[in-house]
Amino acid sequence: MIPFDFDYYRPDSIQEAVKIYEELDTQGKQPLYYGGGTEIITMARTHNIFTKALVDLKGIPECNVLEFRNDQLVIGSTVTLTQIFESRKFPLLGDIGSRIADHTAQCQITLGGNIAGTIIYRETVLPLLLSSSQIVIANESGQKQVSLHEVFNERLQLNPGEFIVQVITDKIYTTLPYVHVKKTKYEKIDYPLMTVVAVKKDEKIRIAFSGLCSFPFRSMKMENALNENSQLDVRINNALSHLPTSILNDISGSDKYREFVLRDTLINTLKTLEGVGLC
Amino acid sequence: METVGIGMSIPRKEAWDKVTGTAKYNNDYIIPGILHAKLVTSTYAHATIKSIDTSEAVKAPGVQAVLLGKDNSVLTGTIIRDCPPIAIDKVRYYGEAVAVVVADSEQEAMAAAKMIKVEYEPLPVVNSVKEALTPNAPLVHENLHLYKLADENIYPEANTNISHRVKIRKGDMAMGWAESDVVVEGSFYLPQTDHLAMETRNARTQILSDGQVMMASATQAPFEVKELIGNDFNVEEGMIDVKTPLVGGAFGGKAAVHLETLAYIASKAVDGRMVKIVNTREEDFITSPCGIGLEAKLKFGATKKGLIKAAEITYMLDSGAYADICPRMAKAMAVDCTGPYNIENLSCDALSVYTNHPFVTSLRGFAHICYAFCIERIMDKLAFTLGIDPLELRLKNAIGPGHTSPTQVKTTLSNTGDFKKCLEKLRNLMNWNEGNRIIQDNNKVRVKGIGCFWKTSNSPTDAESGAILTFNKDGSINLNCGAVEYGPAMKTTLAQILAERMNMDVKRIRVTMEVDTKTSPRHWKTVASMTTFMLGRAVLNAAEDIKRQLCNIAGIVLKCEPEELEVAGERVYLKDDPSNYVDFKDIVHGYKLPNGNAIGGQIIGRGSYVMKHLTKLDPETGQGRPGPAWSVGAQAVEVEFDMKEYTYRVIKAATVVDAGKVINPKSARGVITGGMSMGLGKATREEFKYGKDGAVLNTSLRTYKVIHYGQQPEYVVEFVETPQIDAPYGARGIGEHGTIGIPGALANALSLAVQVDLDQLPLTPELIWKTKTGGNT
Repeated sequence: MIPFDFDYYRPDSIQEAVKIYEELDTQGKQPLYYGGGTEIITMARTHNIFTKALVDLKGIPECNVLEFRNDQLVIGSTVTLTQIFESRKFPLLGDIGSRIADHTAQCQITLGGNIAGTIIYRETVLPLLLSSSQIVIANESGQKQVSLHEVFNERLQLNPGEFIVQVITDKIYTTLPYVHVKKTKYEKIDYPLMTVVAVKKDEKIRIAFSGLCSFPFRSMKMENALNENSQLDVRINNALSHLPTSILNDISGSDKYREFVLRDTLINTLKTLEGVGLC
Repeated sequence: METVGIGMSIPRKEAWDKVTGTAKYNNDYIIPGILHAKLVTSTYAHATIKSIDTSEAVKAPGVQAVLLGKDNSVLTGTIIRDCPPIAIDKVRYYGEAVAVVVADSEQEAMAAAKMIKVEYEPLPVVNSVKEALTPNAPLVHENLHLYKLADENIYPEANTNISHRVKIRKGDMAMGWAESDVVVEGSFYLPQTDHLAMETRNARTQILSDGQVMMASATQAPFEVKELIGNDFNVEEGMIDVKTPLVGGAFGGKAAVHLETLAYIASKAVDGRMVKIVNTREEDFITSPCGIGLEAKLKFGATKKGLIKAAEITYMLDSGAYADICPRMAKAMAVDCTGPYNIENLSCDALSVYTNHPFVTSLRGFAHICYAFCIERIMDKLAFTLGIDPLELRLKNAIGPGHTSPTQVKTTLSNTGDFKKCLEKLRNLMNWNEGNRIIQDNNKVRVKGIGCFWKTSNSPTDAESGAILTFNKDGSINLNCGAVEYGPAMKTTLAQILAERMNMDVKRIRVTMEVDTKTSPRHWKTVASMTTFMLGRAVLNAAEDIKRQLCNIAGIVLKCEPEELEVAGERVYLKDDPSNYVDFKDIVHGYKLPNGNAIGGQIIGRGSYVMKHLTKLDPETGQGRPGPAWSVGAQAVEVEFDMKEYTYRVIKAATVVDAGKVINPKSARGVITGGMSMGLGKATREEFKYGKDGAVLNTSLRTYKVIHYGQQPEYVVEFVETPQIDAPYGARGIGEHGTIGIPGALANALSLAVQVDLDQLPLTPELIWKTKTGGNT
């Protein structure tokens, strides 16, 4: 049971959503944008989230788009992980979504919610970072389309009142050869011990991680190290020296164990994408 | 005639209700005007309560009462009266209730609970059994020696954290060691885990103006609820009524009396109005009792040929902050401490130890998973040391007729079953002879491990059951007994036993699913895999009672002696001429003569059973008879292990159990299979983790992981049928047994795979990696 009352709004347009949010904010209602609701519902019942008003974005047409437009794939922020998986429009993103939580939750969790949520893993952001996706953000002054790299640093840097409308990805990235490895402590349906996602673009490997550190990231320095022309173990050691922060050490696994798993996973990933024998 | 009795796989009586969602559980009833209780729980594992500020909460909307520990100074406990319903002065575990809010709605109760401010002063934490047993360890209960004991055979050790110690002394240890050519030792650890019943624990209570206490609870022990509440609060037992409908899984966790006490004091605080209390999953994890943890040390001696000559065992059970049933689990481990092996020289101490962890109660297997894990690992260590096949070593030492149990009960085929036959069957099922470690491609190795069990029950020596049979006008029978139906189809089993004895269609036997302590005959508790045995006996007695009554009245109708009659197909007929008969429907509510006169009256059957020949254990040697019989079995798992990644996949799990007689084959397979699944969950991933401060770190299903659908290996179940002579049709208890040997079997398989001893649970890839490599990347 959610132990507090809240108002519920379901605007039909982007402008209306922004406006309602602003009004509710002015009234001190601590509004939250609402997508699938899996985080809000589960955290509200344990007093970890509080709000007096929810603004549900699922009624906004732009947020429900899932289609190719010219040479770009446009995915609305309220499209669910299941819809993405079943469409096969972006197989890597679909596969990642199909390993987040369980199937029941995947039918609720939205792309926007997973990217902008509070749980630290945000695994769907990984392929978007590798694809240099664009992100459409709505705010009181309208909409802006920016590179994800500009607004994603450890987490999505949204200002109060802003929400994700869409994610736009060049079609080419949806067809790249990829590796997606999700390692868990043991149980398959769990937070990642680490999720490693890699693609090969222009003969170079791009790679991003979740669960390895306290935030998801793509590191150019690590990519450069891994793409060097040297022995596999040298490349991996180099890459590890460029980790953006310390490796996570928590109940899913110790930092030492994560490092062991990471090394092994990197070897397999590079071998897969480069073809056996290249190392 | 459709005789459907025992040996038939009929669907459970409540199957249609369950699959269509019609079945009702305790919290499914919406009751107008009911009040809701919510808990404020401790955020410390061990701390003095300095102050509790309820001023805001009592003024909050909808709040009817706020209860604190000092409002009820009673101490509760089924064995040691050590537990205040709400913490007084200090908290002893993370999640312990420190206040209860009663409000008009659940939402208001939650909101007000949030307003209560508790100030704590942290105390040194006892964060493991090892810490608890260190000299000068902080005491979880300073006044242990002052507590009243609800069981006379309990020996709390003053000024320690030991609530009870069971000693087993058998044979001559010096001789045993002298005869041993090899000695193996091991230390073992199993974490506390949870029951994870789908239905979280919940209860409601109303106290009527004449003093009647009306309770409804999702419990395995409605009669114990009324007895304990009666004792604790000085209420005449007959004034308390406990109702229990279908229960949504229990696994031992609903055998403890916990929320019922809170619901009672909450109702009392609001002039007897009806109050309900329902655990969230998080509360069910840590506030209500979980399952035990264990630390253990074992030392076994054996001859070169593999005969075990001596065993020295110390089991230290993590009871958490309160004793509840843990002392009896220490006893249960002690009486079966060797596993199903004959060991003549034996010394075992089993200790129930307080810590600042959540307190524990029974959990499927009643601590037998823990002893079996240690014993089965030791057996494999011994097999490895001696170079003997693990299955052969078990056969060599298998318990059998003419041996004695740890508590010196003479074992017979009837009271123990045929363990060797189980092992031989398992050998074939697992294709054991192909080898138990087979190297595959891609760094994989396929391995097999064995884990065996035996289990007897540890009820009070006078545990009892009863059954009442009534007839409908059409001749069908109603069966009313005090067992709670929480999943294993025990009421259907009882109907089958009755149908067999009455030689009639089991569909014509209606069972009363819910229990009402006012109208159902008392049944000790629905625990310990004893329902089929105890209630089966009571039902058979009741069947004989109605058969006698039926033959008496039919003898008048058919003008013959009752002995000349037989009962079948809802008729009473002459043995020498079955065409001469009278139907049940014409006699069960009196027989009406052609002139309208009636004779005989309604037939009501009654049957009861009380345990026979059980004794207390001798405090120095443990000698005594704990239960009526054992169930034995052999289990194995087959695993594919990745030697590079230290990950693995369970391919197959198998159980051969001596069931005595299989009453309902599909139900029996289901129960054993479910047990194996639960065993795999415990073996692979389940554990409570604690911070340095004793706080539980994984209090929700986000982080406490259980086995999910789609992750099951192939399950194989086979039965051996060696009748237990005094059991209904020879049937032995099998409810818990599927879980017991599986963790040991998995640890044995993985230890063989990675060639290192894996002596703790859960067997995560990280644990295996760390044990093998020392944890260096």
